[in-house]
Amino acid sequence: MLPENITAIVTRNETWTGTTASEPFEAGWAKEAVFFVRALKEPSGTPGKGSVEISPDGIHWIAEGTEFTLPAARDAIAVARITHFGNWLRVRAQLDDGAHCTVLVTLHLKA
Amino acid sequence: MNAPTTPSLAQDMRLALLRSDPALSHFDPLPRIIANDSFANGHCGWSQLIGNYQGDLDTMLPGYAQHSSAMLSTLSHWDSGSHGGMNSSYALKIATKPVAGARNVAIKRHTFRKRGPIRLEAYVTFKPEANELKLSETDVRSFGFLFDLQGGDQDGDAMRVMPHLRFLNAENGVHTQKWQFKQQTSDIKPMGADDKIVSHDHLNPNDWQDLPGGEQRLCYNEIPTKVNWTYLCFDFDLKTMKATGFRCNDRVFDLSGFESIKMPAMKNLWCMLNICLFAETDTNKRAFLYVDSVCLSGDF
Repeated sequence: MLPENITAIVTRNETWTGTTASEPFEAGWAKEAVFFVRALKEPSGTPGKGSVEISPDGIHWIAEGTEFTLPAARDAIAVARITHFGNWLRVRAQLDDGAHCTVLVTLHLKA
Repeated sequence: MNAPTTPSLAQDMRLALLRSDPALSHFDPLPRIIANDSFANGHCGWSQLIGNYQGDLDTMLPGYAQHSSAMLSTLSHWDSGSHGGMNSSYALKIATKPVAGARNVAIKRHTFRKRGPIRLEAYVTFKPEANELKLSETDVRSFGFLFDLQGGDQDGDAMRVMPHLRFLNAENGVHTQKWQFKQQTSDIKPMGADDKIVSHDHLNPNDWQDLPGGEQRLCYNEIPTKVNWTYLCFDFDLKTMKATGFRCNDRVFDLSGFESIKMPAMKNLWCMLNICLFAETDTNKRAFLYVDSVCLSGDF
């Protein structure tokens, strides 16, 4: 059997402001993960900071260490590659007051 | 000269083979197995139910906009670790957002070869996110399933038919624990101006009706991180487009009062046989529907 891989859409057409995060995703079967964050509309304000978070339980979260800048223009893409994450994954975003970005968050997982 | 195989001998042999196969003996499938999904083998073609849209994702109805991808889960819990599935470490997990009334839906899309009996079987369980040290038995509003069906393009009686059943666990904090069905969808709305794509939110919260005799107390267990698997079996006849049987664990329900959502056939959905599984939350806490395995079978 071929190794499992999946493309999951974890956030679609949501406008991020302030401090926010994608919904928790269980990915313990996967050896590698790639988050893509695409701006579906023209972002406003200074591009925010994105980071990957991991968790022991899907409830309490801690920084995994990977950081990136959110897309600065419509259809621009930010990416984060992760190879050591246990089970739970999410993306956290921080935007300045008044800034916003409407995103599509795609998660590629591969066994 | 060999004696011809009698139907009863063939049926006995088939049953013996099914009962001796660990991958199938926990199901009672009809003669043809269309799909036998064990989530230790991956996602098995279950994806998120995405709403229709045209030109802009903003045109998607809000009920659908909230959906996200189902995931493979080991039922990992903060206090006891991975619970695992029935026959492997994995189950499919359908998770809502932590907003009262939120829902999420996973779908598998087929077409059918013949309008005859089909059977959906599954082992499932449900729990809220275990982020409080209390029983939380009324935090999950419901879980359920539906078929989305339409006759063939040459069928004079072709309709779009959508039998829905949900277990209403709780509503507004009241632990109701009963099966419901619905006969009404929402208004059908055009997506865009060229009359090619429409959308309707058939899982909107309105118009659910109690299944007569449909009260049932399921095994919820004693804290939010203990789960027990529940067996579901739903029979439907594609020829008559009528539900013919429903079983949940030891209970067999009378479907004489059951009816499906029905509407005129749509122009691109001939022979459609879709299955949806869904969860709804009653509180600002994520609701999880876990699916250990699903078997779709037919008599054709």
